[in-house]
Amino acid sequence: MAKPNEIVRVGEHEGVKLIRLGSGAIREEQEVEAIGRELLALTAEPGQRLVLSFLGIEYLTSLVLGKLIQVHKRLSESGGEIRLADIHPRIYEVFRITQLDKLFKVYDHEREALASFLSDAER
Amino acid sequence: MPAGAPQTDDLGPWTEKVLPTTLSAVRQTEREVLGLLCDLGYDEDHLFAVRLALEEALVNAMKHGNGFDPERSVFVWYRASPERVEIRVADEGGGFDPDTVPDPTADENLERPCGRGIMLMRCYMDRVAFSPEGNEVSMVKHREP
Repeated sequence: MAKPNEIVRVGEHEGVKLIRLGSGAIREEQEVEAIGRELLALTAEPGQRLVLSFLGIEYLTSLVLGKLIQVHKRLSESGGEIRLADIHPRIYEVFRITQLDKLFKVYDHEREALASFLSDAER
Repeated sequence: MPAGAPQTDDLGPWTEKVLPTTLSAVRQTEREVLGLLCDLGYDEDHLFAVRLALEEALVNAMKHGNGFDPERSVFVWYRASPERVEIRVADEGGGFDPDTVPDPTADENLERPCGRGIMLMRCYMDRVAFSPEGNEVSMVKHREP
């Protein structure tokens, strides 16, 4: 699935793309841009279902939130969706304060986020 | 400097920095401020809060204030005690009225990719105030017992 030093690592589980981020903090401008670019590239195919895991990420800024919103909008337009998982409590607080927890579905673990897409598909 | 160095009082002298309008200068300033707070015993929650607010202020100054113009500078003053930290950030832009920034949590604005920096600064710091010209922000964070 991954080369260990990549900023964005993408796998696939029964048609759902699972994205993991390099560990640590998303702070360098190049990292933010790379993540935005890679995520937007994943939206090129209409109707994509993405799970973004924040495992190991302990810091981010509003620049990253902006990228996530762009991805959300792009996916919404094509019938796709991005769901979030493994968010550190301090980072979840950023989502809560900005009320982006209303925009994104957030799960405790990536497996739950993946399962949620699969259970939606069975309906 | 646009607003002049702040006055010294019980917290002692300010550390003053003049930054180029580059994001690498943001990282260096964060390291210095957080290093000072670490030495003073601030915990992870406080470090997270100050780092986030400082970065939002610096990025706003460079992006919206200076328009990423490399000929312009950003001015930072900071000082701290075991009880509180104070930070001021000024840019060389024309300033803005923070009251005109749309509420990013309003339903119609939730999908706007920008506009959350000021809100985060206000939430994570105990006091945030803008100069009348709107090109300088001062922030205070108290360390709770």
